[in-house]
Amino acid sequence: MDTNNQQPPPSAAGIPPPPPGTTISAAGGGASYHHLLQQQQQQLQLFWTYQRQEIEQVNDFKNHQLPLARIKKIMKADEDVRMISAEAPILFAKACELFILELTIRSWLHAEENKRRTLQKNDIAAAITRTDIFDFLVDIVPRDEIKDEAAVLGGGMVVAPTASGVPYYYPPMGQPAGPGGMMIGRPAMDPNGVYVQPPSQAWQSVWQTSTGTGDDVSYGSGGSSGQGNLDGQG
Amino acid sequence: MERGGFHGYRKLSVNNTTPSPPGLAANFLMAEGSMRPPEFNQPNKTSNGGEEECTVREQDRFMPIANVIRIMRRILPAHAKISDDSKETIQECVSEYISFITGEANERCQREQRKTITAEDVLWAMSKLGFDDYIEPLTLYLHRYRELEGERGVSCSAGSVSMTNGLVVKRPNGTMTEYGAYGPVPGIHMAQYHYRHQNGFVFSGNEPNSKMSGSSSGASGARVEVFPTQQHKY
Repeated sequence: MDTNNQQPPPSAAGIPPPPPGTTISAAGGGASYHHLLQQQQQQLQLFWTYQRQEIEQVNDFKNHQLPLARIKKIMKADEDVRMISAEAPILFAKACELFILELTIRSWLHAEENKRRTLQKNDIAAAITRTDIFDFLVDIVPRDEIKDEAAVLGGGMVVAPTASGVPYYYPPMGQPAGPGGMMIGRPAMDPNGVYVQPPSQAWQSVWQTSTGTGDDVSYGSGGSSGQGNLDGQG
Repeated sequence: MERGGFHGYRKLSVNNTTPSPPGLAANFLMAEGSMRPPEFNQPNKTSNGGEEECTVREQDRFMPIANVIRIMRRILPAHAKISDDSKETIQECVSEYISFITGEANERCQREQRKTITAEDVLWAMSKLGFDDYIEPLTLYLHRYRELEGERGVSCSAGSVSMTNGLVVKRPNGTMTEYGAYGPVPGIHMAQYHYRHQNGFVFSGNEPNSKMSGSSSGASGARVEVFPTQQHKY
């Protein structure tokens, strides 16, 4: 077997090797930035610990957060894919949940660094840039978003001037406008696990709230949910 | 404006030029004789290679945005807002994630002369592409799914346990038993050849790769190298 295929291409030579277990690369900031990185890593580790505890409580596999038929359709968009076992979309449904959660929390950490309360596209671009396993998503975000991230990292916690001036993208016409195009599933089963750490962070309190009743979160963000619904209606 | 960024279609140009892999007599016989429930395998290949994009509707290329937003809100604090472009960006990232993992899983399937992508292939692909944090919760999830929903025997559980160690373990009997093929026929074996597929970059499945991050960087670099044109939404 030819082992040369496993060698990284020259274009990857500039990528610093990330330490195992953590993919956040330090950008050479000051002591406060180092402290911030430690906090972020702790939050991410807590996130994974919580996910393991939550999965241990799962006993309902009929109601997925993501529709299996859609997952299967995306998998089969690749003409080379022939057959898919029944378990693969079920596993992907959970995997995509974890992926969305990890990408969202990494993006939100960037928004918090810039003292903002609205998650923007350049926050997602920053999370993609900082995380090695998200390299395959670099093409999703435009180049100028990554430039903003570079400016932020280079300036050392300085807010980029265009951070709040992200150009608005017109919503696509293909948005599902009716009940037929949307699948509303029941929320995931609430775990009864206890937290190993007091909820000092904002999103940890959200988890505690959501473990009791999922509707509280919906009520708390009624305005945003309404906006989402409007988008859904096209 | 047409939404770009769905990279699943860019792989077609490479796949169309790939010759079909040479099949062994035993594998051919086994593949022909395999009986699978139609509900599990729905090969709808009614579209031409060049007009694949026309047959997939816009809304089917992404997860429903309401489901994505609901998952995002589970990890965000109550006061957080999500901009519209970030919602759509996460949608695109999820589809790209599914295509990315599926492509790697399918490569393994073809190397082993199998037609059906299994949950183990998906887990293997995630480990190969650097998503190590996902393996443990997803293995646990799959384990619980088989305990509660499936009627399969010990072989699948053993498979899950093996995947936890991150080793590339072949389970021909388990795989064949699961899909109703000839159980005792030892038709599957690791082929000692490889051909260009998906990303145009082939990883050796025979050798355990201790540098997952390196593989991930290599894969990302290869992707960028093979498909230099980037799609932007402007």
